[in-house]
Amino acid sequence: MIELNKITKKFTLHNQGKTNILVFNNLNLKINPGEIVALTGPSGVGKSSILKMIYGNYVFQSGQIKINNHNIDHTYPRNIIELRKNIIGYVSQFLRVIPRVPTIEIVMEPLLEINSDQDEVREKAEKILLKLNIDKNLWNLSPLTFSGGEQQRVNVARGLIRNYPCLLLDEPTASLDSVNKDIVLNLINEKKDSGSSIIGIFHDEYSRKYLNAREIDITKISDAK
Amino acid sequence: MQPILSVHNLNKYYGNQVGCKNMNLTLYPGEVVGVVGESGSGKTTFINSISGNLIPDSGKILIETGNETIDFLEISESLKRLLIRTELAFVHQNPRDGLRLDVSAGGNISERLMSIGQRNYGNIRQTIFKWLDKVEIDKSRADDFPRTFSGGMLQRLQIAKNLVTSPKIIFMDEPTGGLDVSVQAKILDLLRKLVRELNLSVVIVSHDLAVIRLLADKIIVMKNGEAVESGLCDQVLDDPQHSYTQLLVSSVLQV
Repeated sequence: MIELNKITKKFTLHNQGKTNILVFNNLNLKINPGEIVALTGPSGVGKSSILKMIYGNYVFQSGQIKINNHNIDHTYPRNIIELRKNIIGYVSQFLRVIPRVPTIEIVMEPLLEINSDQDEVREKAEKILLKLNIDKNLWNLSPLTFSGGEQQRVNVARGLIRNYPCLLLDEPTASLDSVNKDIVLNLINEKKDSGSSIIGIFHDEYSRKYLNAREIDITKISDAK
Repeated sequence: MQPILSVHNLNKYYGNQVGCKNMNLTLYPGEVVGVVGESGSGKTTFINSISGNLIPDSGKILIETGNETIDFLEISESLKRLLIRTELAFVHQNPRDGLRLDVSAGGNISERLMSIGQRNYGNIRQTIFKWLDKVEIDKSRADDFPRTFSGGMLQRLQIAKNLVTSPKIIFMDEPTGGLDVSVQAKILDLLRKLVRELNLSVVIVSHDLAVIRLLADKIIVMKNGEAVESGLCDQVLDDPQHSYTQLLVSSVLQV
């Protein structure tokens, strides 16, 4: 379960004339287990910012964010590190490629945090890469030179290899063809059926309908915009 | 879980000049803390003061060994030296500062092993080969002098030399400084792997935010000898709150 209560978020740009940008005021949101929430609203309204606040990547000025009853509290970074290790999964919009690290290892990484059996983890990584149509010849290469769609599927494989109780998805299907899009959407549905609380941004109507997502227009749940 | 290292209100002055002031740090097992800031901000003074290279003027440094908590600034000099040779390790920016250049590569690696009491030549030899392999240096170079090594190889040798006794806490001062980018990538990849495999706890100083983003879980941003901001690494870099951190982050060139 993910809960946001009375969240205020602003950016203060100290070096640009101390500009204050109020992004959210009194933002409330709740995502139940087994539910998918799709955030909607025009670009720049703060869809990604909500995901980033839940992940602990952005701070917020007041209010409360609870993940399975654990508070996101930046005074204890260790707790957020633990939450990320055990509870929250995040598929970002773009893959952060690390030089020299092969695709298969990038995908294995999150699972190795909780399972030290290299062979078992490798097998699972291979399974999900196959499912996502990543050619076997690419597994031992760094995704640095892959196409946008391939990189995104590697990123999805990495994010979905585990069953996180809470899952954050930032346009996971944006640069995929229709066949691969359906494969990814099916994987997301599997996570939902296994009881994950899922919140995401999906740019197309098709994906939101396919996932049977509860759509939330951000402009309607925050006083700021 | 208990922190393996905690630093409280640490101060170090050079005469009237501030080296570092009011510094705090908490390091948990398996965690990497990055210290960033411009040249002269006190990063190196700080890491030297918490690792036994410098004696701070005041403050507390607690090290958790598993069975007891050691007050690092209160223990005897001999115990401190022992800790530095066994449980702590320091990787210098310039590998020549951390290696003995007139001792073979293998000899450099075996030094710490001997200091924890290993005497069996065969075992030591095996461990040397294992570590050379881990840091991607060919076994055949074990008996060569480090002065015949390239800069990148020297740095990898220094890392092997320091990690061979599985120290509890590793301090690194700009471990990739002065290396060209392809060699830097190799070292970063190596460090990332070792941190996971061996569950290392690391304090790393760097002025390179990309290096810190890649390796660190938490971050401390220093300016004029003080911490202006600290917290979760990606949060501080992606949503910096202090004006200096904002300046630092926005000054990085995008490739």
